[in-house]
Amino acid sequence: METNELQNIWKNIDTEINLKSKDELNQLLSEKIKKTINKFLYITGFSISVCVGLIIFLVITALNRQNDIFYQLNNLALGLITFISLFFSLLSWRKLQNNKYNQPLKDWLEKRISLLSVWLTGRYSKLHLFMIPILYILIVLSIHVYFEHKSFIEVMKTEESIVGLIVGTPIGLFIAFFGTRKIRKYHLKNLEYLKEMHGLLCNVY
Amino acid sequence: MKEEFLEILTNYQGILHKVNRIYFRNESDRKDNFQEIIYQLWKSFPKLQNKDSIGSWIYAVSINTSISKMKKEKRIEYSDNLPESMDPIDPIEKMSLNENFQWLLKAIYKLNEIDKSIMLLYLEEKSYDEISQIIGISKSNVGVRINRAKEILKQNLNHLNYGN
Repeated sequence: METNELQNIWKNIDTEINLKSKDELNQLLSEKIKKTINKFLYITGFSISVCVGLIIFLVITALNRQNDIFYQLNNLALGLITFISLFFSLLSWRKLQNNKYNQPLKDWLEKRISLLSVWLTGRYSKLHLFMIPILYILIVLSIHVYFEHKSFIEVMKTEESIVGLIVGTPIGLFIAFFGTRKIRKYHLKNLEYLKEMHGLLCNVY
Repeated sequence: MKEEFLEILTNYQGILHKVNRIYFRNESDRKDNFQEIIYQLWKSFPKLQNKDSIGSWIYAVSINTSISKMKKEKRIEYSDNLPESMDPIDPIEKMSLNENFQWLLKAIYKLNEIDKSIMLLYLEEKSYDEISQIIGISKSNVGVRINRAKEILKQNLNHLNYGN
């Protein structure tokens, strides 16, 4: 089969294409823009709700427990870690969304691989292993101490609290790590796929 | 700006359909991807400086978006069945009209994602220079890959013809 013949056969595709009108294309674009804006609103809405909820909780606890310095420190650390994590999560999400497709395939693959590699295998990629347990313990303590109506030190001295912490922490951490692992696995699979594509592009067999 | 964009899109939409056709066999995947490509084109439209290379820009965005969607969906199938048709024309009539085309399409589906895009550009009679710009590899590399992909395609075509 001659190579020109392949090109001639390919021309048959024109008979298969159902071209869309300008209005149809406009409608498709408008629908997609609407969907994307809604997604953005859901994510930012959720983040704002978490922030507002946390601020209200921290303000209430700070006012009610003014003399409990350890409790205040616990909540301060909780607030700081949550806001910093949320800020960087939103920043990363935005970076991923702003991915530019209008470049050569090889450049696009390289940029995407480098972005995902930094998150998944870079210097700070294991940070979540430390942050999740810390954040979990801070949240549990913050809520538990508040509803016990005792000072932070007093609560920490009760056997009940220690046992609760020892039993509850592994369960909570298991759920948290399970979720994180799933997200990480999904992105690692993507990274692997992109590397495979880049390999196919660079290796002239 | 939107009016200009829609005008360009209307004139060049064939590219989107063709890229979609080689990457997705399922109608609903093609529909989703078509919409995603339009959106990605719209997003990058303000940065389009060289209006002489609209075709290359559309090819690049369409190919990158499709590969990205394939990554998400991971619906790479290597079935020997004839590909699904794009419109509701009687399949018997279509086979008699475009049988060779259907076999070619089937052979293209067997190529890897990168060779699919290079082969599409070759079949669309793009120059090595244009293919090199869209894919981001050297012209000599393009030549090597096209020859290799053509060989695979011919082998696939022969195998499919003899095998059925």
